[in-house]
Amino acid sequence: MGGLLLQRIPAAFARELARQRKKHLKVMKTAANYDFDLLCFAECVDEVAAGFVSFEAEFGFAPNFRRSVENGNVTFEEHSCYTVISALRAAAFGVPFMPVANLGESHIKDKFKRVSNPYGREKVLAVPAIEPDWAVLHVQKADEEGNAVIYGSHFEDVIMARAAKKIVLTAEKIVLSQEIKDEAQLAVIPGFKVEAVVEVPNGAAPGSCYPYYDYSPELVRRYLSLIDFEGLCQYLEHNNP
Amino acid sequence: MIENRDYTHAEFMIVAMARQLEDAQNVFMGVASNLPFFAIWLAKRLYNPDLVWLNISGRINPEPSSPPKSTVHFQLAREGSASLTLAEIFDMAARGELDVSFLSGVQIDKYGNFNLSHISENGRLKVQFTGGAGSALICPNTRRVIIWRTRHDKRTFVDKCSKITASGNIYRVVTPKAVFRKEKLRLVLDSIHPFTTLKEVKENTGFPVRSAPSTPEPTSEELSLLRDFDRENIREIEF
Repeated sequence: MGGLLLQRIPAAFARELARQRKKHLKVMKTAANYDFDLLCFAECVDEVAAGFVSFEAEFGFAPNFRRSVENGNVTFEEHSCYTVISALRAAAFGVPFMPVANLGESHIKDKFKRVSNPYGREKVLAVPAIEPDWAVLHVQKADEEGNAVIYGSHFEDVIMARAAKKIVLTAEKIVLSQEIKDEAQLAVIPGFKVEAVVEVPNGAAPGSCYPYYDYSPELVRRYLSLIDFEGLCQYLEHNNP
Repeated sequence: MIENRDYTHAEFMIVAMARQLEDAQNVFMGVASNLPFFAIWLAKRLYNPDLVWLNISGRINPEPSSPPKSTVHFQLAREGSASLTLAEIFDMAARGELDVSFLSGVQIDKYGNFNLSHISENGRLKVQFTGGAGSALICPNTRRVIIWRTRHDKRTFVDKCSKITASGNIYRVVTPKAVFRKEKLRLVLDSIHPFTTLKEVKENTGFPVRSAPSTPEPTSEELSLLRDFDRENIREIEF
């Protein structure tokens, strides 16, 4: 799932997954909070693969992620952000693994095998490819074909789009193809792999979507104030963040 | 304010970290890094205008007009000098091109290893932390890592981490009580803040420490620059 922390995340899509009671999903991203926390809360996911799952100092940790992992309902495949990127790059590059630089004494290195450098003597960590079935991205603009423009930081969205088998986009606006063509250099997602594109204004809320809107501290707090599954169901029914 | 002083713990730590950046070529800050944000901002104003500021947004040398509460906020992606992707910034780390990085840990041990992963008891997960974000890669591959931590107690500064999320080139560890440096593979005190004592540091550190000189105090110039820039006291958000 695209974006990072509260920046341009597919938040409305995550809520719809929860509303439809999807189960047994595996989700990955370098650094996540609201979307992954909500999917843990709604019992949609079996596994989270990420380098960091938490809000920042303003809101504190991701309580439902934390509880779900602590009580064993969700498996946390702990990565470094770079090994998430490396796994996606291997898939994007069509190779079985990606060699990565030294991770020191980090326990994260123990998840991965090492291979001999065929041109030298040293051993190198090899992160296996992860080819997601879907990349779910929220973008500012797309046309009906799914050609999409991203403004501001891409985070891992482009790598995800290259690595995944298929793409689903939510977009602030669906525009005429000519508008995308006029900004073709910003159109980093080509439509040919896009299975579906859905217009969802405010689709990243309570997160931000540069340059249209900032994240809403009030709405993030409203979500974090939900204390039980019933509360979550009511929150989801109203179809707003 | 700290008793009998005209500054807060956050301000003291920011200034202590900013002064470590005087000769840095570039500096990286990650997610949830408010104090490093202010330290870098201040260092660029006062000590090192050529310092290259790298962050998660990918935009080099951001010029935010006011401090954001989130250190991945799109405000940091405005008005910078050039753009990299986040993956490319990690590639710089992998290539050994990062000079200074700011990292933090829930537990920090006498070797300077830190834990942001979890604590287990008898093979069972007890507390899940946030994960170390980019730190497993960044810590061993940056030339100088500065760890900051707003808590200084025996639960934080432990003899040995129960899990090592990251290890590597620790240059300084900055807390509300003291500054450590790494010497012969161990953390030793570099300085003790003027409003605390060796006894207090000892009582709150889970490994042996010896006396050290006093950390220099912030100047009125440093404090007024910070306070003018940050009228909403966002610098206190980690406390």
